[in-house]
Amino acid sequence: MEIMRLVVTGPVGAGKSTFIRSVSEIEVVDTDRRATDDTLLLKKRTTVAFDFGRLQFGPDMALHLYGTPGQSRFDFMWDILIQKAHAYILLVAAHRPHEFREARRILTFMKQRSPVPMIIGLTHTDCPGAWDAANIALALGYPHPARRPPVVAINANETASVAQAVIALVQYTWAGSLTPTT
Amino acid sequence: MAISTEKLTSILQSFVTSTTDIQGAAVVTPDGLPLAATLPGGMDEERVSAMSAAMLSLGERIGSELARGGIDRIFVEGDKGYGILTSCGEDAVFLVLADKAAKQGLLMLEIKRTLVDLKAVLM
Repeated sequence: MEIMRLVVTGPVGAGKSTFIRSVSEIEVVDTDRRATDDTLLLKKRTTVAFDFGRLQFGPDMALHLYGTPGQSRFDFMWDILIQKAHAYILLVAAHRPHEFREARRILTFMKQRSPVPMIIGLTHTDCPGAWDAANIALALGYPHPARRPPVVAINANETASVAQAVIALVQYTWAGSLTPTT
Repeated sequence: MAISTEKLTSILQSFVTSTTDIQGAAVVTPDGLPLAATLPGGMDEERVSAMSAAMLSLGERIGSELARGGIDRIFVEGDKGYGILTSCGEDAVFLVLADKAAKQGLLMLEIKRTLVDLKAVLM
């Protein structure tokens, strides 16, 4: 049985824990605690170590999903989790443009430590004030549409939607492994 | 009543200075923010707080999911010393950094006593 480790990262409240809960076949190992900082403006509880979920993907592959904490004070967890990841998805709340800079910071952090494939997942795309994919990609540092990772819209509460994003990430990773990268 | 940071800090300071072989101590929130700390130079309060919260939450998870019950403390033993995490009521986590030379029994007793003082301020 092959195991593929996928990391779900992104700023606070992007939907990382919800994402994993929606798609995991086992009861998710979560480590959320009552929030006492600015996180409270978005939600009551926040991840302090990681979320862990599992998903059977075909007969001989299992996906292990690790969700990171959002706040940068937990960047040692980002580091631990990305070191062993085969691929990752950066979740960004499309309707909170002031967080794009933080998302970009996380992206830079991950890229410095790991060359593995990544895709961008946009959540809250149905909320008022949501930016479109092209502009968010631009804000994250991808000005050329041809040279950017896949961008997918996700409803983190919907299993089917999250499953599609996971499939997109796995396929993108496989596609990358077929063509030798230099 | 507001929590007095000065009181917390003075409890930590007297704990660190009066107990031999203790190098640092911190009280942090369960979501990893500093409340008070007396740490060795070069250690960042924010990072230490976040690590303490992450470690305790994982330990508690092992306690519940692997049927070890409620967690009294998490004990990290390195070849240079100890890191001991104790839950300090619902709203705080207590971290102690001690030298390898520290006597464990004494350490635990001192931690237990200091926890009583800390809880009185946090109540």
